Amino acid sequence: MARKDLLDIASLHREEIEFLLDQSTSFKKLFTRSVKKIPALEGKSVLMLFYEASTRTHSSFEVAAKRLSAEVTNFDVDHSSITKGESVRETIETLQAMRTDYIVVRHGHSGLPGMIARQTTASVINAGDGAHEHPTQALLDAFTIKEKFPDPRGKKVLIIGDILHSRVARSTSTLLQKLGVEVAYLGPGSLVPKYGPTTIPRFTDYQAAMAWKPDIVYLLRVQMERQDVQFFPNVREYHRVYGITNARLAEIRDRGLYIMHPGPVNRGVELCDAVMDYERSLITNQVENGISIRMAVLDWLTPGGEFPKQESYIARQQASSTAILP
Amino acid sequence: MLLLQNARIASENSPVLVESDVLIVEGKIQDIGKSLTIPEGARVIDARGRVLMPAMFDAHVHFRAPGFENKETITTGSEAAINGGITGVVMMPNTRPALDSATSVATVLDNAKRKARIPVYTSGCVTKDRQGKELAEIEGMRTLGVKMLTDDGDTTSDPAVLLRAMQYATEFGMFFASHCEVPELAGPRALNEGVMSYRLGIKGSPACAEEIIIDRDIRLARAAGAHVHIQHVSSKLGMETIRWWKSRGDVKVTAEVAPHHLLFTDEHIGDYDTNYKMNPPLRTQADCDALLEGLIEGVFDLIATDHAPHTPFEKAQDFISAPNGITGLDTALVSLYHFFVEPGKFGWDLVVKRYSAEPRRLMGLPVPTIEVGQQAECVLFDTDAETTFTREFMKSKSQNTPFIDQTLKGRVDLVILGTEILLER
Ligand SMILES: [Zn+2]
Repeated sequence: MARKDLLDIASLHREEIEFLLDQSTSFKKLFTRSVKKIPALEGKSVLMLFYEASTRTHSSFEVAAKRLSAEVTNFDVDHSSITKGESVRETIETLQAMRTDYIVVRHGHSGLPGMIARQTTASVINAGDGAHEHPTQALLDAFTIKEKFPDPRGKKVLIIGDILHSRVARSTSTLLQKLGVEVAYLGPGSLVPKYGPTTIPRFTDYQAAMAWKPDIVYLLRVQMERQDVQFFPNVREYHRVYGITNARLAEIRDRGLYIMHPGPVNRGVELCDAVMDYERSLITNQVENGISIRMAVLDWLTPGGEFPKQESYIARQQASSTAILP
Repeated sequence: MLLLQNARIASENSPVLVESDVLIVEGKIQDIGKSLTIPEGARVIDARGRVLMPAMFDAHVHFRAPGFENKETITTGSEAAINGGITGVVMMPNTRPALDSATSVATVLDNAKRKARIPVYTSGCVTKDRQGKELAEIEGMRTLGVKMLTDDGDTTSDPAVLLRAMQYATEFGMFFASHCEVPELAGPRALNEGVMSYRLGIKGSPACAEEIIIDRDIRLARAAGAHVHIQHVSSKLGMETIRWWKSRGDVKVTAEVAPHHLLFTDEHIGDYDTNYKMNPPLRTQADCDALLEGLIEGVFDLIATDHAPHTPFEKAQDFISAPNGITGLDTALVSLYHFFVEPGKFGWDLVVKRYSAEPRRLMGLPVPTIEVGQQAECVLFDTDAETTFTREFMKSKSQNTPFIDQTLKGRVDLVILGTEILLER
């Protein structure tokens, strides 16, 4: 079952998912002990490569790596200028030289962690790439759901919001489906693509979605920064049409539904303030479970051993392009 | 003197190959017939089983010079053409500086005369620096032989500017070539909007971004009495739009299709393979099928590669950062043979008509045929041999093509242009 990288949920087998969720349970038990560290990754180095700012995911991975006794390095990424693929390639060369064992990477470009994975022998963990995937988020979501529903088969999760741009929606719905959970989408017509997976029902009307009888309502963060054009008129209207308003919270409480959100929450947009005190909100559980899931992932992956002795990637590319000059 | 014995001669007028000897003297076809007597001093080539056809002409290539000689030069580009059996090309004007004046066109044509072994023609910009604002030096470019006007990858977005350009340039006998795309719909990334773009998490370009401009530009051409040539159509509805306009018969419209749009779909992008990143993007199997139908039916007058070289360095980036484009000259004829002629989807007559005769007619050039009295401009193609597209095989400076290191059926053995044998394998 050894894997070098965790790039997506799509390619994970059900047994691998079950294994990671089980491991996460064991790691979570550690948290109640006074000594929370174990030596699993003693002498290994984990490099954090975050091209997009993210306090939450970044610190979650950092705590997870440290609890496994790994050495954590933050690779300084200049958020203002280094976003193009070309500079990433130079970074990859530097990473080779640093001989790091694990690379945790977040980037705005879909597919970029895969590119790094193919060019290094380090284990690469995708911590979010563009609108593609965010596999550890999906695993921690599944773990959180399994804590409430040990056998989640047949349970229903309604994912609400910007499905089009959401890597969380892609990864989490893929994973939940692999576990036998039913998933549906709700959101503005401009943000719930008609050509998404055919196995997922799509709603654009809140009442119709509720009539589908979800067990969990999963709210996505509204990311205005990802929208190059306007997808809905304003956040007030969004809240009114797709958000958890006070009135809707009362209905949700009545029905005993759970609420999830990958964070950070835009209060008054995805949900009203009162949700934060709702007893069936799993939002803080998700944050807590992020650490044990990421420990399980780091512990599970197997870095590809020694870096092969070879000339630098760029030198190789340039050599091959000059070799064919007339 | 060159005697090709027992060649199977292809022509645009008949799907049947005619076996014959062909005698070429001083660059002209002097005799065709069974068992010709071997003249003294003639070189004899046993062409038995091989196809002899008029050489191809590619009306849509990017040779990147001036400005991007690291990607391609007129020399390497024209050698790639020869390598694929092509003896004439039309360059697109998206060089740096852009080909928008008599001066810049003169430089390119002068270079081409010295650095290419085949005729290299160029198109000119519609607007200055392809900005879509001020008209380029249209008549000045015409005096140097420019016939085709296009802003290439940058669709002239203001219809009023294009309409005026059409009214103006048509008076000089020039025509327009349109890369059809509404930029606001297409976005910066060349991927079809659909199941695949959703799965990959990349903003897609919907087919309607192309279809709207196909329709718009034909309407503008109709209004101006101009001739518009629609470039590299990628979608089913795009093909059907052209078909409908052609059936009306009240506007001069021609169109082309590129081999890669007939062959690949967005599914091929799979693991973010940048060799499949091109504009217009690869669409679905239904689109491929419709394009093939359009080609066979004649909705597409010609095949053109949109040969678009980029260095390995640039293409080795992630999908979003990598530039759009695929090379096509080295591989065009062999891939058409392998995927279409050999499996019987269309015949040699279609290849000759759509890839040799029609592109030359579009450009107002003489059309070579394998007939007595004609200049020898032909290709000898071995249908039994194979070609492996190694980096060494490719003559283009860049090899951004999915065919790299693939082996396909068929091989270009001989390319003759007048008195010169440009290529012999
Ligand atoms: Zn082009």
